[in-house]
Amino acid sequence: MKTFLATALTLPLFLGAAGAGAETAIRLAFIGAEADSAYNGVLQGVKEANLQGRFLGWNYSLSRFAAADLEGLDPGPFMAFIVAADAEALRRAGRRFSGRAVLNVGAGDDALRQACSQNLLHVIPSDRMLEDAKGQWRQKSPGAEIKASGWHPDFVKFAARDLNKRFRKAFSQPMDQRAWAGWAAVKMISDSIARKNLTDPAALLRHLKTDLSFDGQKGLDLNFRDTGQLRQLVLIASAAGELLGEAPVRGVARPDDVDSLGRPSCKP
Amino acid sequence: MKHLVSAVLLLWGCLQLAHGASNRIFVTNERSNDISIINGASLEVEKTISVGNRPRGIGISPDGAELYVAVSEDNAIAVVSLETLELLRTFEAGSDPETFAVHPNGDIYISNEDDAKASVFDPVTGRQLAEIPVGLEPEGVAISPDGKQVIITSESTNMLHVIRVPEHDIVANILVGARPRAAVFNNSGALAYATSEISGEVKKIDMEKHAIIATKKIADEKAKPKDVILSKDESKLYVAGGRANQIIILRADTLALLKKVPVGKRVWGLAMSKDGKRVFTTNGVSGTVSVIATENDQVIKTIKVGKFPWGVVIDD
Repeated sequence: MKTFLATALTLPLFLGAAGAGAETAIRLAFIGAEADSAYNGVLQGVKEANLQGRFLGWNYSLSRFAAADLEGLDPGPFMAFIVAADAEALRRAGRRFSGRAVLNVGAGDDALRQACSQNLLHVIPSDRMLEDAKGQWRQKSPGAEIKASGWHPDFVKFAARDLNKRFRKAFSQPMDQRAWAGWAAVKMISDSIARKNLTDPAALLRHLKTDLSFDGQKGLDLNFRDTGQLRQLVLIASAAGELLGEAPVRGVARPDDVDSLGRPSCKP
Repeated sequence: MKHLVSAVLLLWGCLQLAHGASNRIFVTNERSNDISIINGASLEVEKTISVGNRPRGIGISPDGAELYVAVSEDNAIAVVSLETLELLRTFEAGSDPETFAVHPNGDIYISNEDDAKASVFDPVTGRQLAEIPVGLEPEGVAISPDGKQVIITSESTNMLHVIRVPEHDIVANILVGARPRAAVFNNSGALAYATSEISGEVKKIDMEKHAIIATKKIADEKAKPKDVILSKDESKLYVAGGRANQIIILRADTLALLKKVPVGKRVWGLAMSKDGKRVFTTNGVSGTVSVIATENDQVIKTIKVGKFPWGVVIDD
């Protein structure tokens, strides 16, 4: 009887509480290919944003566009743009959607960072960050054949295990750095909106650039450099893909000194 | 008459058994898959037992007869006799049970990290009594002393979910700093304190208004706070500083910093003795338990336990 009562009461009351109050719709745009793992990351991010949103009255939806359709895209309805494309498409997106956040989840080009565009935010690590991470690792293990990446599907620390598990369950594929960046882009947007009640795209951009405090399951409170690059850990794997460790590499740099990885300044 | 006397004696015996606390301290070792049992008088490990894989959350039944251990990798709760230290039974407790708290009525409230839900079990029958959808990566579970309120922290959704008992509905969702890990109520249940690991904060919450009334940033001390407990007189908060490798003691009223007590590496779990005189900490990376005397807040002993000690509970 106790069981029956508890179960019977739980669901309707819970739904009642969650459904209380009107929902505010937030629309996000993804620009890139459907087959890109970044898109799956974004989908996972939107699912999780709605899981949080149901408690707070936010409802997220996503529209996908090909990079080729960028010019005809009306930015009006969208709170932010998440782009998995090459550097040229990113530059165009930055110009076209000026005043709104354009989050780069696919291009590592250092020149994009040095340009210090007012609305391009680079969630994926720059090429230089990956090179510096490998350099630090080789200082400790000279001659090692290694790869560097913004994410690894076997990473377990800082609850990375949970995120990897959720992603693999949803898409039957391992989470790579583009997928992580896609997920992280949505997470930082939804976290910011929830904390600051933001409904204006320009206010969101300002918040992301100057006031972000975000848990990307990398153990640190993540935020952006003035170049628009997200400070973050980089993961080191063997040539065969086996996870070896993290950079900043302990013993070479301070573990929390993420600015020891690739820090170009803005080109005058 | 003879039977009645026997029955009374038997009943008395049972009560004695149930209430005779052993003064032992139980520690789950996440990576060595065992439980270290520390003698409360000698502060030495007297026995190590194995009850399942990846033991994490740990608690004791209100009658003091049974020890509960969340064996996360087995998706179960193991029930151990506090008298014989033998495994009595295990019951399935949903996917990846991590932390739980024991309600004064004996039920167990569990956070199921993988499933974005909290679940309620009757540990006697092993039956699930309720399931409450919460945010992502639910972790900390706190129950008010009167049993009327439960807080579940969801780490990835950055919230404290306040659940009413017995209704088991969510009455408030309080947004806090990134990665909330643990919470504790004060004795009256009017206040709660919660830690956020990534933002490095401790928050004080008015549980009648469901409003945050004070925030203390302890990230400057390199703290990634995890467990939090309140001193018996409710004047001090003990916060496990994680990779800061120290316990951070705050004034419970203002959250002002009182003292930092160095312990072992990656300190997460905390337990206080019922008399309020001792605090036990689990130092994961060091593989040790530190014992703090609350009289002067000094470490009086460091005890080697298993690999990656996680949770700690006292049978007192």
